[in-house]
Amino acid sequence: MTVASLGSRASRLAGSSLIVLLYAFLLIPLVAVIAASLTAGEFMRLPPEGLSLRWFARFFQRGDLVEALLMSLRIALVTTLVTSIVALMAALASQSLSRRMAVWFQIGMTLPLLIPELLTAIGLLFFLYRIGLGKTVLGLQIGHIVLAFPYCYVSIAAALRQIDPALDDASGSLGASGWQTFRHVTLPLAMPGLVMGAVFAFITSFDLYTVSLLLKPIGGNTLPLALFDFLTYEFSPTAAAAATMSVLLAFVGVAVIQKLVGLQRAF
Amino acid sequence: MRRLPRLALGLPAVLLLLVFLILPYAEMITMSFRASQPGTMHGAGFTADHYRNVMSGGLYLEALARSLLLALFITLACLVVSYPIAWHLSRASGRKALLLYACVASPLMIGVLIRNFGWMIIVNVDGPLNRVLLSLGLIDRPLRLLFTQGLVALALVHVFTPFMVLPINNALRNINPAVIEASRSLGASRFATFWKVILPLSFPGIQPGLILVFVLATAAYVTPALLGGQMVTMMPTLVVQTLVGTFDWPLGATLAVVMATAALIAVVVFSLATHRLMERVRA
Repeated sequence: MTVASLGSRASRLAGSSLIVLLYAFLLIPLVAVIAASLTAGEFMRLPPEGLSLRWFARFFQRGDLVEALLMSLRIALVTTLVTSIVALMAALASQSLSRRMAVWFQIGMTLPLLIPELLTAIGLLFFLYRIGLGKTVLGLQIGHIVLAFPYCYVSIAAALRQIDPALDDASGSLGASGWQTFRHVTLPLAMPGLVMGAVFAFITSFDLYTVSLLLKPIGGNTLPLALFDFLTYEFSPTAAAAATMSVLLAFVGVAVIQKLVGLQRAF
Repeated sequence: MRRLPRLALGLPAVLLLLVFLILPYAEMITMSFRASQPGTMHGAGFTADHYRNVMSGGLYLEALARSLLLALFITLACLVVSYPIAWHLSRASGRKALLLYACVASPLMIGVLIRNFGWMIIVNVDGPLNRVLLSLGLIDRPLRLLFTQGLVALALVHVFTPFMVLPINNALRNINPAVIEASRSLGASRFATFWKVILPLSFPGIQPGLILVFVLATAAYVTPALLGGQMVTMMPTLVVQTLVGTFDWPLGATLAVVMATAALIAVVVFSLATHRLMERVRA
């Protein structure tokens, strides 16, 4: 074996260990949260001292946390419904724009994603007070819809772009009405993108923190807000159990997206 | 033929963003010129006092400078971490690529708060990091990493890395492999090929990644609030304290506008500076 080939083997080894380290960096905090929630011991320790689900049971005994979880689920559900419908309509509209205009339209539709959440939240705080919706559930709901909208729009618009326009024309020339074409041709073909958009909207809403902090109704808490408060005075595995539910939700989301459209097309 | 009714389908979305995004921003700018008055949202009349106050006040400008510098550091660190991942990801295929995509995308779908919490568990005084370092004999007493700026930076790099990996990965996938082969066969070393061919050609992915991460990092609130403790004031925490703690909405609005403007100026300068490189890559 020559010195040169030894050198290149060493550099390849260094390269692959660097890659492993970087992927570990991405995943370690998630693994830590899940592992800490499964401990049978009294404290947040890693590795966990024995395995149990007792901290999940403890989570469901805490009235304030369960109430926050229900509020988060409710808001995420409404957000998903509204953004999916509005985004589908907008994506259909964008199809009749010229290529250039469609690019600008897409930038406009994704604005809430491109500007920091904190700034949007502050603007909404002032504006919702001005129109009498300050500190209401409806106000918080509106904030979540605005911030989750871009994720939903991008997924649906991408799915619609994949559809061959000839199918649309064929359906029309065979005598189908606009609605029939939509119902029997466009919608089934766009379904995977629509479901993906819905999954994105739900998860985004479920995880939002900053906008909820500024817009939360009096006496109402979402799960991330409750978790933050919890963490500042109690560092117990109950918090890890709450966080693990979010992690699992994300894994389910990733699996659904992979099943429907494939991760490489989605991201 | 059915163009007009079809366009009308976009109306709800346009209205949604116009009313609940654009108008709120206008409201924020208006608010920043109103007079402060304790007990109510704002007093009567308009004034530029808050801007004078912020621009002359050491505390505010210091916090702004600290936030911009931290954002710059985080953006560059993200690039360093993301490039090898993006490169590796762009070369993978089949089931392996799928698994790697899941690794990069999963953190993106998990809330910032939860990912920060993961770091809290790891660096805790009796956490796994300290115990590993102790047992290796590298330290003789546990490191107190919680509530330090270093941990905030680490956690933010972790939060924003996927935002950088994905666009760079896309750009790398778009490079024609023949170009790389040509460079190699013309006698360029691996390093020269990377530096002169691959890196410039991946710039269309690097540029948006840098801009997005910088803007988001400047205004990141959760991470400094949870992991930074009370010791150092960053601009976003200052803004929220002013709004929620002291209820001085006009001053809080001013701070937000100043922070947004500073980030915007930085982005415009960067875009102009890299404009020629982008044009060359496109050509």
